[in-house]
Amino acid sequence: MVDADNTQLNHKPSADTFLPLSRVRTIMKSSMDTGLITNEVLFLMTKCTELFVQHLAREAYMASCAKQSNDTLKYEHLSQLVNKRKNLEFLLQIVPEKIRVHEFQEMLRLNRSNASDDEDESCTESESDDE
Amino acid sequence: MVERIEDLNLPNAVIARLIKEALPDGSNVSKEARAAIAKAASVFAIFITSSSTALAHKQNHRTITAKDILQTLNELDFESFVPSLTQDLEVYRKMVKDKKESKANNKKDASTGDATASSSSAVVAVDSEEAA
Repeated sequence: MVDADNTQLNHKPSADTFLPLSRVRTIMKSSMDTGLITNEVLFLMTKCTELFVQHLAREAYMASCAKQSNDTLKYEHLSQLVNKRKNLEFLLQIVPEKIRVHEFQEMLRLNRSNASDDEDESCTESESDDE
Repeated sequence: MVERIEDLNLPNAVIARLIKEALPDGSNVSKEARAAIAKAASVFAIFITSSSTALAHKQNHRTITAKDILQTLNELDFESFVPSLTQDLEVYRKMVKDKKESKANNKKDASTGDATASSSSAVVAVDSEEAA
């Protein structure tokens, strides 16, 4: 699997972390019902988050930039990857694909002609005001 | 507890460095992309934490263990992280063990009057940091 190879790429096992443990602890605690967090678990989660950052950047870059011989990783590359990968589904709301205002209006129009649910529509409409 | 939502952000400089390390030399990252990755990383940590907590609770454990996290990663399709993390964990456990041993040795030294004050106090400082 390409995935695994990439993550393994130049990985040196180490007990050092780059991200601050205290911040990762705060983030972990913000999740409901997290009990005690042992130092070992905190270390592992920090490492894991670091791996994730690198994984996300590398995958998005490989999928788009490398192919187009373009050397800048852009937001669009990330949102495209999030849309494509099943295991990144949890980021769909966090890194949504950007759409143009006129595309959005088109979507709204289609929605209106299709949907019978009034509540949904009023919701989307208020969002369009923000755009 | 989290007082401000910014408390959940990871430091930008560290994120930038991690990304730079992951990409080939000479590549750039837009500001927006970096911000999105930072946000994604925080959400990832929360996501894995809550999934691991759920897994631990299912086994009637109240606190999550390293094993719970690794198993969660497998279940959520991040199995490619597991080998690296397992290695890191081994190194970490060894380090903790070594620290404990050197502390025990220092104690022994102290009782025989041989301890260098500086080294034993250094160990104590590290320990209190861990306890915090």
